Amino acid sequence: MSDEPDDLPDGLETRRRRRWTGLFSLTVSRWWQRATGTTAGRIVSTVAAVALTIAFLLVVTGIALSLADGGVTTTDDATVHITPEAQQTLSSVDGVEGPRLGTTNERASTIRAHDGVAHASPVLIEAGRLEAGGDPQTVQLVGVVPDDESRTVAGVPTDALEEGDPHYANGSYDGPRTGEIVLSRTAADRLGASAGDDLTVSTSPRRTTNFSVTAVSETDGGDVGAPVALVHASELQSLSGAADGELADRMVIWGEPDASRSAAADAYPDASVTVTDTADPTALFDDGLAFATSVIALVVGVTICASFVATTMGMTVDEDRRTLAVLESVGVPARGRLAVIAISTGITTLVGSVVGVGLGAAGIAVVNAVASATVAPGAVAQFHPLFVPYGIAVAVLAGIVAVPYPLAVAARTSVLAEVGR
Amino acid sequence: MFNQSAQDSRSSAIEADSLESTTAVRLEGVTHQYGSGGGRLRSSDERTVTALRDVSFDVPMGSILGLEGPSGSGKSTILHAVAGLLVPTDGNVLLCGTDLTALSDAERTRMRRRHIGIVFQRFHLLPALSARANVALPLVQAGISRSDRRARATALLEAVGLGDRSTHLPGELSGGERQRVAIARALSTDPDVIVADEPTGELDTATGMDVLELLTDIGRDRAVLVASHDATTLSVADRVITLCDGRVDDVR
Repeated sequence: MSDEPDDLPDGLETRRRRRWTGLFSLTVSRWWQRATGTTAGRIVSTVAAVALTIAFLLVVTGIALSLADGGVTTTDDATVHITPEAQQTLSSVDGVEGPRLGTTNERASTIRAHDGVAHASPVLIEAGRLEAGGDPQTVQLVGVVPDDESRTVAGVPTDALEEGDPHYANGSYDGPRTGEIVLSRTAADRLGASAGDDLTVSTSPRRTTNFSVTAVSETDGGDVGAPVALVHASELQSLSGAADGELADRMVIWGEPDASRSAAADAYPDASVTVTDTADPTALFDDGLAFATSVIALVVGVTICASFVATTMGMTVDEDRRTLAVLESVGVPARGRLAVIAISTGITTLVGSVVGVGLGAAGIAVVNAVASATVAPGAVAQFHPLFVPYGIAVAVLAGIVAVPYPLAVAARTSVLAEVGR
Repeated sequence: MFNQSAQDSRSSAIEADSLESTTAVRLEGVTHQYGSGGGRLRSSDERTVTALRDVSFDVPMGSILGLEGPSGSGKSTILHAVAGLLVPTDGNVLLCGTDLTALSDAERTRMRRRHIGIVFQRFHLLPALSARANVALPLVQAGISRSDRRARATALLEAVGLGDRSTHLPGELSGGERQRVAIARALSTDPDVIVADEPTGELDTATGMDVLELLTDIGRDRAVLVASHDATTLSVADRVITLCDGRVDDVR
């Protein structure tokens, strides 16, 4: 016997579509009434639990991404980044902080010569202690080679640095030092320094030199106001000991994307070349610690999320048996009744995931602000646009894992027991 | 649980054309024991309770049948069997010529959707849905378009005197209004048979009389089965069957 009434003029498909659309809208309106009514407690707590789990997942993943991607100092307006492959040692040297690119100043010159490339610069990042007469402050020193265009590296404009890198002197590192330093707003505030002030900079107790503040950036370093200072690359290399090998953490290139990518690949065939202006989530796969951290966060997130959704939705269904019985009494078959439960669970999970993505973004900002104000010289977590679908997908996965339990509770509902009460 | 082979043998040769054209419901030797099947978790020493013993009767279209008897006499079990909510242990239940005992769960659900409207003592409206949405609920599964559902539900609410309360939630309605919404819901698919279990049990006398008037109107062109302890409620019935310990004790 068909499940379709034969006394209606509409086609089978039309009726089937209307039936499922009707069940969906029925479930949505029921969910909304309950979520906004006086008995909203359980739905709200489930949404909150999902949201907090997703937020936790995104914060941890954001930290892992920052670990893998080099942190806030990647905030620049370059077209292409060249970073060393984690396992590569060909043209890079493994330093204490991880692998670095070698012969960067020389190869930057080669890259600049390519058609379509406007400029290329090595970027060396070192934590340094800066003192402007008050207490020393830890600041991320970023060495770059500026040109005559206005560019941004580590969130700070390079305009106030003298064009070129005179101290490099074709690799002899005996050219004149400019002694110029540009501070981010946060760094200047912490140091109490302004343009024209002299600073003492040390990257270790035995390596100290003086710089003069040429400008204070009106913008902060990176997304959350990290204390950052730009200097000429060769001067930082000399100060940090990276001159031997012309080391840098990355190379940044400005220009046409295809030409820049091609020039990068020619210069560093074994390095990672990415055309991006944001953090690259694929970097997670290149960094063992970051990858492990994000995977653990994923597993924990899915487990917690699924457990909570299954438990609370199961309890909700248990309280809602009479509704299921009424649906059965008016002719809604088992498939339709279970669909109502599944849709309801899905809505709860989806709403929780959307809230969770928002909380995750806020959480990353808070973590960065706290870290920046206490233990870290800069941001320790990054938010990427892909986190939005990622958070939602994880919540959906948790919902799929969780939904069999409320469905099992629903399937055991006896209409006679419920309507007889 | 439903046993297909047993049901196949029971479905026998009862065909729609063997019934009088006006017979909406027929029970033939219906016996039902609770605890004899249907439960998923059941201890081996569970005892059975016989709720119905060899009950037979017909309900023609356009008539109201009253069922009376003390608690546990089997009134509600008969209504549930007629509505296809349970399958009796033995005997046949024919609804508009179709033997419900020969059908699968899904097929009984479909029969219920097309031929049965149920009115419960405690209304059983969905509290999160408006009166109109509750009335339209059975039409969702029937595949009726949204606009037609709304129009039909609104018309039914107007017919039961609640046209101005269609957007109210059940919690915002009085007991009598809720029962009228429940009756409107039972009528939404224009069923052949209405089963009403203590329809005035939760209502005061005046409100109960309003509901009975509604049931009387409904009974003019369909079959209505009303189970009640209350003599006033049963006064609307064309015929009253008195049950005692699951047996038909008297018909008047």
